[in-house]
Amino acid sequence: MLKPFFVLITLLVFMVGGVSMHYLLSSHAPENTMISLVKLTGLVSPSLSVAYYEPRVLFFEEAVNPAYPQMQPINKMDLVYAR
Amino acid sequence: MPGNMIMKNAFLHFLTLLLFKQKGKHIGAVLISVIIIFLLSSVLFISSSLQKTLLDTLEYQSDFTVSRVQAGKSVTTPVDWVDKIIEINGVTKVAPRIYGRYFFAPREESFLLFGVDFFDEQSSKVFESLVKEVDLKSFLTTESMLVGSGVRSFLSKHYYKENFSFKTPKGSFKKVKIEEVLPSQSGLISNDLILMPIDLSREIFGLEENEVTDITFNVPNDAEWDNIIAKLHLLFYDIRVVEKREIKKAYENLYNYKGGLFLILYLVTIVTFMLILYQRYSMVYSTERKEIGILRAVGWSIKDILKLKFYETVVVVFVSYIVGVVLAYLYVFIFDAPILSQIFLGGANLTNHVTFVPVLKFGLLGSIFLFYAIPFLAAVLIPAWKIAVTPPKEAML
Repeated sequence: MLKPFFVLITLLVFMVGGVSMHYLLSSHAPENTMISLVKLTGLVSPSLSVAYYEPRVLFFEEAVNPAYPQMQPINKMDLVYAR
Repeated sequence: MPGNMIMKNAFLHFLTLLLFKQKGKHIGAVLISVIIIFLLSSVLFISSSLQKTLLDTLEYQSDFTVSRVQAGKSVTTPVDWVDKIIEINGVTKVAPRIYGRYFFAPREESFLLFGVDFFDEQSSKVFESLVKEVDLKSFLTTESMLVGSGVRSFLSKHYYKENFSFKTPKGSFKKVKIEEVLPSQSGLISNDLILMPIDLSREIFGLEENEVTDITFNVPNDAEWDNIIAKLHLLFYDIRVVEKREIKKAYENLYNYKGGLFLILYLVTIVTFMLILYQRYSMVYSTERKEIGILRAVGWSIKDILKLKFYETVVVVFVSYIVGVVLAYLYVFIFDAPILSQIFLGGANLTNHVTFVPVLKFGLLGSIFLFYAIPFLAAVLIPAWKIAVTPPKEAML
């Protein structure tokens, strides 16, 4: 059973090697296009795909409830982006 | 020495024999562990990548953003505030902005529309570097816009191939040419973005000549920041100031234990992991009890038994951990995390086309490994030791 064991180890080494190569060769900085866009707009917020009544620009907009403004507004992204 | 080598080989042979002949015993724990590590690592890879990208780009954002508030809500800001802010000592690069969401009623989708002052030298330079194919002069002669990849695919799907007609608050339609698509690499920020000249955006939003959405400016000397805020509050009483350092702090603490998603994830991981540990612990007590007793009866020492169990568990732990982390890496950074990316970026509006920048936090990966490996080893070694120290006859009962 030594052979399948060494096959398994080789497979794992290849997996780790492949990931390491990809990580080392890929750029870790945001693309220049993204930096240019921020220079142009000044908006850093990720492009959140949210309903119209939920805040699209993080930390700039606030949630509103268009039908019942006095009620607690709905913002589903609160689950992820806690303040 | 050669005898020792043979012993080592015999041990390794026995270990591999145990692992492969009794693979049914390990396969369940390995599969569940891989799923849990994959899920945990994927979420942490996405959050780390988003956080790093946003913090890096935040460096290029203005230090302050000022808007007018009325009844606690942001409303349009008078453009003459620009002149008053410029007069404050230490303030530079004061710029009014017009942006907002345009609601496409028939499909209940919205775009983020941004008006750019292309007559500003800095903006025109950035524009030329951003979309090299578009000539700024010809762009400004016709009523044109640049759209994000999400907007482009949405408009194409609804047969707006060349132009799109915006409905203004006055009830008229404004036909705007789709000049070019913003580079797809910037999808994280620009997916639902539309860039157009500032006057055109003012017309579409129905703003007056003296109104803007907000005003941004820089204060190069950090020590002056608090002083500038105090001056702003003395100048205007109905004002909301958003500081870059506040946003930076918020982005740094974006994904922490307060987030509901992370709380759910950690709870699910801990509970599942507890079940795996319980399964290993009870398995050693029930099925492996006889095996340990036999090994003790044929002359294996307690140390040898613990060594065998240790290496057996280490192989299981390493295989599950490496497979889980590698699969998560491929899923996030090669396949751009379908489904999971929707949790982070939402799925209620336009479909997001995002490429994640590879970011690995080795401290975090090490913590996951320790959190997983140490209890797993303990759950096997402690019962194995308890059985090994009892007389073989008793252990085999």
